Amino acid sequence: MEEQIWTEVSEKRGAVSAVLHFVGSMGLLLTASLRSMASFRWEWREIVHQMAFIGVASVPIVAITTLFSGAVLALYSASLLMRFGAGSLSGGAVGLSIAREIAPVLTAIMVAARCGSAIAAQIASMKVTEQIDAMRALAVNPISYLVVPRLVAALVMLPILCVVANFAGIFGGAFVASALGVPSFAYFKAVQLFTDSYDLTGGIIKVAVFAVIVALVGCQQGLSAQGGAAGVGHATTRAVVISMVLIYITNYFLADLLFAKT
Amino acid sequence: MRNAQDYAVRVDNLVYRVDSKTILDSLNLEIRRGEVLSIMGGSGSGKTTLLKCIVGLLKPTSGAIWIGEQNMAVLSEAQRAPLRRTLGIVFQYAALFDYLTVEQNVIFGLERQRDIKRSEMRKIARERLDWVGLSDVENLYPSQLSGGMRKRVGLARALATDPQTVLFDEPTSGLDPITTHQIDSLITRLNRELNLTAVVVSHDVGSVLRVSDRIAMLAQGRFVETGSVTEILHSSNEQVRAFLEAARSTSVESAP
Repeated sequence: MEEQIWTEVSEKRGAVSAVLHFVGSMGLLLTASLRSMASFRWEWREIVHQMAFIGVASVPIVAITTLFSGAVLALYSASLLMRFGAGSLSGGAVGLSIAREIAPVLTAIMVAARCGSAIAAQIASMKVTEQIDAMRALAVNPISYLVVPRLVAALVMLPILCVVANFAGIFGGAFVASALGVPSFAYFKAVQLFTDSYDLTGGIIKVAVFAVIVALVGCQQGLSAQGGAAGVGHATTRAVVISMVLIYITNYFLADLLFAKT
Repeated sequence: MRNAQDYAVRVDNLVYRVDSKTILDSLNLEIRRGEVLSIMGGSGSGKTTLLKCIVGLLKPTSGAIWIGEQNMAVLSEAQRAPLRRTLGIVFQYAALFDYLTVEQNVIFGLERQRDIKRSEMRKIARERLDWVGLSDVENLYPSQLSGGMRKRVGLARALATDPQTVLFDEPTSGLDPITTHQIDSLITRLNRELNLTAVVVSHDVGSVLRVSDRIAMLAQGRFVETGSVTEILHSSNEQVRAFLEAARSTSVESAP
């Protein structure tokens, strides 16, 4: 089965068969990765390296984007609610939106842009310069060495980044709400009142699914790259675009599954 | 009937197709233990594809590739791993891992063999690098090396796992004449000093004639002639003669 991951298929495809091919190769890659993970012969050094790259180095960009997203949410909600004398409820609107939607989606989008592209570019460049072939010739499985560490690192670090994003977004909202005249105590009380642990857990479940999408799409596009520098460029662009589209599509279904009845 | 011990690799009726295009067409070849066999042919003749099929990087459409008693063509990716450790491959552009140092590149295949200590791996790396004529490069990155040095690091990496057969993909392409001679001399030494089998895929006729015990000429996915260097030089096959003649006319000796 793994054979098909390495086989270069050169024929031109129509849109439908291209989608089917993508779904099939993602399925194969996920199955091969899970099988490799189950063997517990993990590349710890690579996993730690990827955790630093995907997680630690993404903290500033995730924190800044969610801080300002929280701020703009507070700007709209507080000014609207203050007209009805309920400005203090803005904390609830910001908290709920951040925990359920903004933090998980924005975290995944930022990591897809920053790391998904890098994953695809690095693996694609290794593919077109025969480094993947060299790895296989040295009896090292590229799934265990390249894909599993990125998948594990994304699965561990994206939920942590999502927690950071929740804090940043809620505090961003607090600054603006406070500047608009909403007492901080009332803002945080509303956050507590309207946002419960299920909202935070649901957001973390969502971001874990997005982590799999970002890591696997980056690896799949990298491994299927062909040609020289142009092939690397195409793989990188496709990885970012496909990840983002899949994040938004999956987000709808996850929101329906997790939050529609609450 | 030959015994499996007599040959390092045996290719039986090998066919490799991509879509409807036949790249390798019913190839048969025996690579004898301890010889230097060169597979010579023009660009697009299927040389590299054959090499990748032998190492198990490409799965043939049909046919068999015998390495000892095992048929590489029917094994799964996991089953191929121990067999691959008996083969070393030096890629055309060396294919060094650009984010690792020279030493890390050389020990890359050893790091996954859990019974070897790190100090032992570093010792092996130093020995292999010394053998290919490189010293004080352990901490450099591939981007800091010349083309010839990269190929030598690629050979050191291939030798680190103690293979029985080493396969070279265009070992002299893109190298100056002095470096070409150094690489040729390494292939000859590898065969004579280490008693390893070498398979050289090349279109560099001068290099092929210098290093080979036998030559197999590949054209449009088929072997058109196989024989000793003398037999190939005196071949009556038109494609062999045309290839040698073209090489002769473009060599430096023919310059006015």
